[in-house]
Amino acid sequence: MILNDLLGTDVVDSTGQRLGEVSDVRFALDAAPAQLLSRARMVGVVVCPRTATSFLGYERMDVNQPWPLAQLLRWRHRGSFLVLWEDIAVMGPDGVRLRSEFTAYESTLPR
Amino acid sequence: MKRLLGVALGILTAIGGFVDIGDLVTNAVVGSRFGLSLAWVVLVGVVGICLFANMSGRVAAVSGRATFEVIRERMGARAGLANLTASFLINLMTVTAEIGGIALALQLASGVSYMLWVPFALIAVWLVIWRVKFSIMENVTGLVGLSLVVFAVALFLLKPDWGSLASQALHPSVPSEEGPGTYWYYAIALFGAAMTPYEVFFFSSGAVEERWKVKDLVQSRINVLLGFPLGGFLSLAIAACAAVVLLPAGISVTTLSQVALPVIQAGGQLALAVLILGVVAATFGAALETTLSSGYTLAQFFGWSWGKFRRPAEAARFHVAMIVVLLAGVAVLATGVDPILVTEYSVVFSAIALPLTYLPILIVANDPQYMGKHVNGRAVNIVAFVYLVIILVASVAAIPLMIATGAGA
Repeated sequence: MILNDLLGTDVVDSTGQRLGEVSDVRFALDAAPAQLLSRARMVGVVVCPRTATSFLGYERMDVNQPWPLAQLLRWRHRGSFLVLWEDIAVMGPDGVRLRSEFTAYESTLPR
Repeated sequence: MKRLLGVALGILTAIGGFVDIGDLVTNAVVGSRFGLSLAWVVLVGVVGICLFANMSGRVAAVSGRATFEVIRERMGARAGLANLTASFLINLMTVTAEIGGIALALQLASGVSYMLWVPFALIAVWLVIWRVKFSIMENVTGLVGLSLVVFAVALFLLKPDWGSLASQALHPSVPSEEGPGTYWYYAIALFGAAMTPYEVFFFSSGAVEERWKVKDLVQSRINVLLGFPLGGFLSLAIAACAAVVLLPAGISVTTLSQVALPVIQAGGQLALAVLILGVVAATFGAALETTLSSGYTLAQFFGWSWGKFRRPAEAARFHVAMIVVLLAGVAVLATGVDPILVTEYSVVFSAIALPLTYLPILIVANDPQYMGKHVNGRAVNIVAFVYLVIILVASVAAIPLMIATGAGA
């Protein structure tokens, strides 16, 4: 499975209720060192209730310019949340199902 | 002194490099049908290209990478692909038009059919791309292209009624024999010709080729802010020549020789010779720029090694891509389609694709992770956003207007 198969697939909760689509996947570079960088560790997926299109970088809260564009993209992605890898029950070509007690984290990146 | 020379050279190159077959043809067509009543569009277009070329030059100088590489990385494969597809198709059309332009200019000089000049133009363009150093290529075509100043000289020799030209330009109105649909259709065409996307990609990739650093930003800004407006002035001179000679005679431009008519009337054979030299240099330079731009965008999207600073063997896919693009352009010309027609369509399609090219540039130029403290200032962002709206309106209106007016017929 490659990342492209995952992006845009449906996300459902444990009861099968649709929550949105995978619009981004978060990685951390904190695993064992490899040849160039450390290996990427998957932290979780960003679920967006409205659109699977990209945030175009405006998930970072310090990126605010040009202002109308930032507002438009944030508005398009309102209600997005981050679900950690631990809270994902099934992930496959048909979509993602979350565990019953998953936590929805803020999907923006503060800094 | 050396620095001053560099600045002067940069400005002159930018002037000569600004005008290409799209500007030549569109301005002459517009001048012969609408007089100077669309001169304001050239102004709007020049300010726009200055704004975005400056932005992409800054991205390249600060991040050390071409704008398109940053777009691909920052916006992801999908948004990058939309940008690539739009830009690449326009590039391909523009390459075709420019090669046709070289051939037409050589036909004007020799009387031999342009079709026979096309293979020659193809080989000449390819050889230069393969062998000639980037800076030499840039400067020679830019400087020789300056001979298009002959349009401005011709305008003076024609002793026009300056007052009436000025009033056409300052109080624009739709001429009685043209409808508002065609007026706005040509407004979009002229806008597309001034803001052709290849210039921006070429400008930023060229900045990487010439290893610009932050300290070169001042020079790049001078090049753009002086060179492009002076280039725009040349565009206006082309339109004005057509407005003075062709409009009263009822000739609407459909061939390159008609573009040359006012210059011949003003300065005779000598002026024509200078004009042909200028057209060959301008279209040749633009053919190089568009061909390189298609190679740049493809290579930068797919992550191939690219650049003329590398030997061709070290950037093999980059060079193969450009050969394919050149052959594709020549294949289109080989069908016998009129290069002037290709040019007219290419500038309108440029206008249609503009949002996909310029929106990503604006986003990237605002990203502090790439740009640090060199992100866009507030004023630049406001103006750029206004331009984005103009670009969007032009892009959306282009196809309906094209259908409604029968492509400006």
